[in-house]
This record gives sequence, structure tokens and C-alpha cells, in this order.
Amino acid sequence: MSQPPSTNEVGGSGASTPPNGGVRPIVDSRSIGKSFGALTALAPLDFTVGPGERVALAGPSGSGKTTLLYILAGLLQPDRGELFLDSQAVSRLRPGKELSEIVGLIQQQLDLVPQLPVVQNVLAGRLGQWGLLRSLASLVSAREREMAYNALSRLGIADKIDERTSRLSGGEQQRVAIARLMLQAPQIILADEPVSSLDPARADEILALLTDLVEDSKGAVIASLHDPELIKKYFSRVIGLREGVLQFDIPPQQLTAPVLAALYGFDRDFPNNSAL
Amino acid sequence: MTGPRSTLREVALGRRRLTFARASLYGFVVLAVLSWAYILVGVDSGLGDLFSHRAWGNAGHFVRQLLGLEAGLVDGGRPAFLEASRWAETGKLAYKTLLMSVLAMSIAGVGVLLTFLPAARNVSNGELGGRSSFGLGALYYAIRLVFAFTRAVPELVWAMVIVFLLSPGVLPGAIALGLHNYGIVGKLSAEVVENMDPGPARALRSAGAGNLQMLAYGIIPQALPQFLTYLLYRWEVVIRTTVVVGFVSAGGLGREFRLSLSYFQYTDVALIIVWYLALVIAVDLLSAGLRRLIRSG
Amino acid sequence: MIWIEPPRPRPVSRFFETRRLLSLILVAALVWSVASVDWTGGIVHSGGGNALKDFFLALFPPDLSPGFLKLALAASWQTVVHAVAGITLALIIGLPLGVLASGSLGNPGRSRLAVAATVRFVLAFMRSIHELVWAVLFVTAFGLSSLVVVLAIAIPYAGILGRIYSELLNDVPQEPLDGLRSSGASPAKVLLYGRLPMALPEMLSYGFYRFECGIRAAAIMSFVGIRGLGYEIQLSLNDLLFSQVWTLLLFLVALVLLVDYWSTRVRRSLGS
Repeated sequence: MSQPPSTNEVGGSGASTPPNGGVRPIVDSRSIGKSFGALTALAPLDFTVGPGERVALAGPSGSGKTTLLYILAGLLQPDRGELFLDSQAVSRLRPGKELSEIVGLIQQQLDLVPQLPVVQNVLAGRLGQWGLLRSLASLVSAREREMAYNALSRLGIADKIDERTSRLSGGEQQRVAIARLMLQAPQIILADEPVSSLDPARADEILALLTDLVEDSKGAVIASLHDPELIKKYFSRVIGLREGVLQFDIPPQQLTAPVLAALYGFDRDFPNNSAL
Repeated sequence: MTGPRSTLREVALGRRRLTFARASLYGFVVLAVLSWAYILVGVDSGLGDLFSHRAWGNAGHFVRQLLGLEAGLVDGGRPAFLEASRWAETGKLAYKTLLMSVLAMSIAGVGVLLTFLPAARNVSNGELGGRSSFGLGALYYAIRLVFAFTRAVPELVWAMVIVFLLSPGVLPGAIALGLHNYGIVGKLSAEVVENMDPGPARALRSAGAGNLQMLAYGIIPQALPQFLTYLLYRWEVVIRTTVVVGFVSAGGLGREFRLSLSYFQYTDVALIIVWYLALVIAVDLLSAGLRRLIRSG
Repeated sequence: MIWIEPPRPRPVSRFFETRRLLSLILVAALVWSVASVDWTGGIVHSGGGNALKDFFLALFPPDLSPGFLKLALAASWQTVVHAVAGITLALIIGLPLGVLASGSLGNPGRSRLAVAATVRFVLAFMRSIHELVWAVLFVTAFGLSSLVVVLAIAIPYAGILGRIYSELLNDVPQEPLDGLRSSGASPAKVLLYGRLPMALPEMLSYGFYRFECGIRAAAIMSFVGIRGLGYEIQLSLNDLLFSQVWTLLLFLVALVLLVDYWSTRVRRSLGS
């Protein structure tokens, strides 16, 4: 990955955040919790994320990582507590336009519309900005096609712009999802296991792209993943969750084998991450 | 509601399921025995007739008349399928029949496109975004009721009713076929939306899409190919049925078929059957080709 | 800072071409069909408007007198009888033809393919002709009777069942079949112990779906003069007794929906 460290016309907006030295957290979770019936998915959780931070979420499956990401994305309502994004209560943000300017989510299954051409799936990142008529017109003849083209060529798949999305490989679809996020240009990027289905080289590349987007915009990235090496390489902070309870919130350098073993509940040494 | 189920419960359910299917099978066998007994014992069973020498003699006579090997009472001349003028005349009727089937599919297709979204439960209750409201819920039940009613009444019965209201021609037949297929394709299309992966729509929501944008970008593109495929499959059925609807609605080949039969012009009947088969084969091929286009597009 | 090359005009991809072609064909079909209708006057019967009004007013209420309900019930039973008999006969004809058409019997070779191709052609012919056309032809040849009507339903339905069954028998997973073959099973045994058991749930559920269609088919057999719901509807229509028509329509709808519900339950319980 050798992208020029440019200010990027596509991905960043970020004019509204305070300067890097500012103290205002971009994510402020005040005791948010969530239960599904009798199951506590997330115990009341307090943490803040400042601008420019790259936070990894670690923990065994069922530990509440996805629940937390969904709440942060505004797709789930917490049962208790209150969540502030960019100093605004999420419960008061309008879903759609307002929320999508602040947070964007890449899900594990990518969730692109398989029948649409790539360009439409990328331009879907603009839906929050577009009115209904413009969105409908764009389905017939793509609006702001250059934007989509730029994003895709930055990701190295500009030649796929008119392909049917379902024809693309998994890695290419991942890039399409990232390109959509680049057009959406939210301050906070959330990613649910973005590299779990990729080979190591791809994983490296994708994480470099994702964290790169944040550096430009002084926003934040919060991603769930397991691999301690990748966490150390790309993240500035790691939060451990287990059964919905915060276990630790530490710099990645402190992510030692015993810490991981305790988090994942292994008795012996932490095995290779592929076993997860 | 869609929470994870325990395997034990699934096993238990599985056992109950099997019982229902098996009970249904037994029930159907009993029904079949009763039905056959009723038919065979009944006065007009026709079992004796069907195997009588005279019946087969009649049937052979009929087939020879169809093939023009035996001069009918009325057509003393040459068999209709040797007359170019008869081919041209019936060809026009075949064109009308094809037109009726396409018009029927247009009526059904446009009708379904306008109504299938609120007829999907996950759209009307706001699962795919938006809010549930009393109005939407009522609309769901209203459209589903219309689907069920139009689907349950066969085309021919619709045609019998409609010729009371409209003047005969292509249109009443097309409306009759359209109504019945509207119910069938509508139900299937609504189910496509209900079984749809909610992921893409949710992702669009988090990318800032409003309700209508989500329908346009997330739901319609996913449902449209399936909808068109169903429509084409139904077209194959409809072309077969168009002739039958023509019996009562006085359009196309069906009317001619009836008239020729009642005037004992059996070689005309044979000619019409040839046209009918040609239409069926042509539509099957066209539909298969278009469905391949849908798959690749 | 523009390090990205600007988008070049590219040739339209095949994907777009296909889509455009498809939309063009469909829109053309729509326009052609709608434009070919003579919309200038005379669409509605003289008096059709009044008939329409009378027809809908007659729904409130339909004829629910006990005598007529009894008649409707008897007509429903006759319709069910013809449908059930037609479907069972269709199964008896369609299942063996489907097996032959699937080409899963006999040793691999040209003769097996020839048999399968021939049977497929026969099946296609059987289902090409609508059940009511079969009925009209049979009645002309043999005279009117219940059996003739049952046969007319059974032939096209056997054609459909045979085709679907042959596809289902061919679409089963191949690994278990290979296992059977490697243990020395003949094609007939592979069919009995492999293909049939695996395809059976789907075959059963499709058969039940066809049962629902069979009800409708039996109802319209009235057209050749056999008694049943369609026959009564026609009589009541001819006498302009619309409230009776509604009663019969509601019976028909209820019957179809009942069978539909039954077949849905069966399909769900078979997990398909």
C-alpha cells in the first residue's frame, strides 16, 4: 500500500471537528447498555474516543462487539445510558442525513446490493445528501460519477465501475463498500470484522486503507478484529470486551499474550489467530 | 421473534412437522379414494362409454376428421390446412391471441409493480426502514386480500363475469387473464421482498438513505429480476390459457376454435391447434431467452 | 493535488447493454399491447355500467339461503372430486414419465438418452394444450362424462408434474449417489435408495401445489357441461342472479384458499 499521503478530495470532510489538540471527544458513551430479553448483550459501558484515534475492539464472539458497533451506528437503540457523537445526543439526530454525516459502518457481510452495478453501490454513499428525485434520476443515469470513479481508482478497481456488483470477488466487493464509505465521508468509521474473511496480505491492505481515511479527516475509526499483530500495527488503542463487559482499554503495546488469553478464555498460550 | 432457536426445539419442531406432512398425505389418499369411488359409482362416470367399441369408433372418426381424411358434413372442399387463405385468416387470430396474452401480462405486471411493496410484511411493518402505521398495516391486509381473491378465481370465471360488462374483444379476455395473474405474481413478488436479505437495506440506511431511497436502491433492484422472471413464467402459462379465455370473451383463436367445432369444421380445428402449438412453442422460447437476459443482466 | 486520472469515457459494459436491451423489449411489449387495443368508445357494453353496478351491489349480501348454500356445497364437492381424481391420475401418469425423462434409469448410453428425449417431448406436448382444450376434444370424441373431464385435467398436469419431477430427480446432490454406485448399486437401486428419497419432500410439496391449481381447473370444466362450481356460476350469470354468483365465487375462493393453506402448511413442514 503506497497511497500518497494527500489530503483527499473524496474521503475527508472533517471541517467541523475541533483542531487535533482539542479535548472534545468525538464519541462519548455514557453508561450505554443493551439487553435482548434475558441476555445482557452490553453491560453499561463508559468510554470516550477523541479525534484521530483508531480503536480496535477485541473479544470472543458473542462478547458484544457487534452490538456496540450497531449502537454507535445508530442502528440499535441502547436500553440505557446516552451516546454522544460529535457532542450531539444520538437519540436526537435524525437517522439518514444527519447521522450519516457523523458515522458510517462497514458490516462483516458488506451488504452491497448485488444486482446493482458497482457505480450505484458506491454512489449510495451520497444518498444522505441527495434528495429523492436526484437519487431516482441517478439510478437511470449515474450522477456524480466522477466521485465514484475517483474513489474506486484510489482503491485500484476503477475498471470495475460498470460491472454488476455480484460478479466481483470478495476482496473487490470489500473495496466497493469502502468506496461507498469514502463518498459518505463520515467523521467516525465503524467496521465490524472488516478482515475476518481475508487473507493476511489483503487484511493488511484493507486496514491500511480504512485507517488512512481517518488520518485525513481527523475523525475516528472503531473496528472489531482479532489479530493482535494487525491491532498493534494499525490501531492506537484496544478495548477488550467479554460477555458485554469492558475488560480493558489499553494501548496496543500492552496487548500481551496473558492479556489476550484472559480475554479469550484460553488456559494455555494464545494460539495463532487463524484458529479463531 | 427471529432469535436463535435451540437445537432441541428445532428437533422437536422437526418431529411435529413430519407428522403434519404425513397426516396430509394420508388425508389426501382418503380423499382420493372417496373421489374415485364417487366418480366410478356415479351415473355419468363414463367408464363403460370410455371402453366401449362405439366410443373408440367415434373417437377414431373424430381424429380422421381432424386430419381431413374423412369429409365432414359441411366442408366438402379441401382441408383447411391446405388453403393458404385459411392460414392467413387464422394467422391474424393467432396474432390477436398473442396480443391478448401480452396485454394480460402488461396489466398484471403494472398492477403488481404498483402494489407489491406495501403487500410485503417487512415493508409495511417498517422492518426494512420507515415506521409501521395503522394505515400501512391496513393497506397490507387489503392488498393481500385482493391478491388472494383475484388469484383464487380462475381466468375463465373472470372472463365469464367480465363479458357481462365489457363488449367482446381482446380487452375483456386480457383483463380476465390479467386479474388472475395479478394475484399470482403479486403474491410471489411480495414474498420475494419478505424473504429478502435485510442487510443491504440496513447498510443503505446507515449510509444515510431515507425510506423511499431505500426502496429505490435496496429493495426494488433486488426484487425486480425475480418479479420479471415470475412474470415470464406466467406468460408461458397465459398463452395456453388465452385460447380458453377466447372461448367466452370472443377474442382470438379461442372463438374460432369453438365456432369450428360447433359447425363440425374439423380441419379448421386442426389448423387452429397447429397455430396454438406454434404460439406455445414461440412463447416458451421467447420467455426462456428473456429469462436468460435477466440472469445475465 | 489531483493525482487521480480523470474518468475516461469507456465503452458501455455488456451488463449495461443487456439491461438496456431487456428494458427496451419489455417497454416495447407494454406499449404495443396497450396501443393495439381500440380504445375509442364501445369498450363498455351498452348497459355494462348498470350491470357492473348491479353486480357489485349484489355482494351485499350474497345469496345465503339454506337451499342455495346446500347447492353451493354440493357443487364444491363435485369440483373437489374432479380435482382430486385428476391429480391422482396425473401423478400415476406423470411419475413414471418423469423418471424416464430424468434419464436415471437404465445403463448410460445413447438409448437411454433417446428415451429421455422422446419422453420429454411427449411431456411437452401434453402440457402444451390447456386442460379445457383437451376436455373439449375429448367430449367431442367420447361424449361428456366425469372420466373424460378427469382425463382432461390429468394429461396436462401429468405433463407438468413429469417435467418438474424429472428436474427434481436430477437436481439431488450427487455425492450420495456416487456412494451408492461405488457400492455396486444398479441405476434402479440408485433411483429407489438415492434419488427418490432425496427428492421426495420437494416432489410432495409440488404435488400439493398442483392440487390447488387442480381445483381451479376442475371449476372451469363446467364449460364442457360438467357439474360443479363453474357450472353453477354460469347458470346464475345467465339468469342475472348476481347475488348467487357472489355466493358461488366466495365458495370457490374459500376452497382454493383452503387448499392453498393446506399445501403451504405441508410445504413448510417439509422445509421447502
